[in-house]
Amino acid sequence: MAAIPDGIVLKRHRDLEGRRNHAWVRRTLIVLVGLVPLLALFNLFGQRPHLANAQSAKADLELYAPGHLRGGLLWEARFTITAHRDLKDARLELDKGWLEGMTANTIEPSPVGEGSHDGKLVLDLGHVPVGQRYILFMQFQVNPTNVGRRPQNVRLYDGDTFLTTMHRRVTIFP
Amino acid sequence: MDLAIRAVALFGFVYLLTRIIGRRELSSMEPFDLILLIVIGDAIQQGLTQDDYSVTGAVIVIGTFAVLQILVSYLSYRFPRLRPALDGEPIVVVQDGQAIEKNMKRERITLGEVMVEARLQQVSQLDDIAWAVLETSGKISIIPKQ
Repeated sequence: MAAIPDGIVLKRHRDLEGRRNHAWVRRTLIVLVGLVPLLALFNLFGQRPHLANAQSAKADLELYAPGHLRGGLLWEARFTITAHRDLKDARLELDKGWLEGMTANTIEPSPVGEGSHDGKLVLDLGHVPVGQRYILFMQFQVNPTNVGRRPQNVRLYDGDTFLTTMHRRVTIFP
Repeated sequence: MDLAIRAVALFGFVYLLTRIIGRRELSSMEPFDLILLIVIGDAIQQGLTQDDYSVTGAVIVIGTFAVLQILVSYLSYRFPRLRPALDGEPIVVVQDGQAIEKNMKRERITLGEVMVEARLQQVSQLDDIAWAVLETSGKISIIPKQ
């Protein structure tokens, strides 16, 4: 047998003694790394939007928006208010999670007025006649430093009269 | 601060990838590997700096990477027990002209690849190889018989 090269220990480097588990560790890590894109296919990391509804006798509120986002993403929330009765002064009240660490690029159509109620953003949408739908588009971009889970509850009012609420949270991945 | 955290996270992820992908894949540079390298670099850059175009941001990221690289090499030097995990270990794939199949299978190396390396080192026959060792860099060292 040729002389064993310096630095080579046959038991360790040829017979792989004490290294038999290494291959399994490596395979496990490969599976874990491969799991990330697989989970992404199932929308775990965003940004596929989904529908949420809240009903009341006077009006229904529907929201189409993603619940999972990532830093830097452009995304849209679409609010649809369907009036079963005349709404004299429809108002949406949004939790601060809607704007905290987000850049609001546009709100269309522009609300009649904006305000703040107990730290929440209030959008005054004006009159929604009975049987009609009011669709509000809001477009945002996630600021790169915005990470974590934030409440994004939405409340619908007619003037000062509470109609319905929608509970939701958004999860933002780095 | 988040720039440094992102740099640490991505350094760890890339380091992990280089350790688990397999050393042969890392040492070869086929045309597709070159494209892959550019795409990975671009994806990492976007995740790292995002909308930060500042010189300060670049200095933070490069500084973090440099410190981590020095830290890894220091740990490898100072603590030999960590060396197999951080740098890997050589594997003997041919001894006395005999291929060690289980070791080659483990590292997904064919006899053809070993012989390519052998020819590059002026060894034409498998029988003439005393030792072929897959090094931690992914290169195969060929030691011919005397």
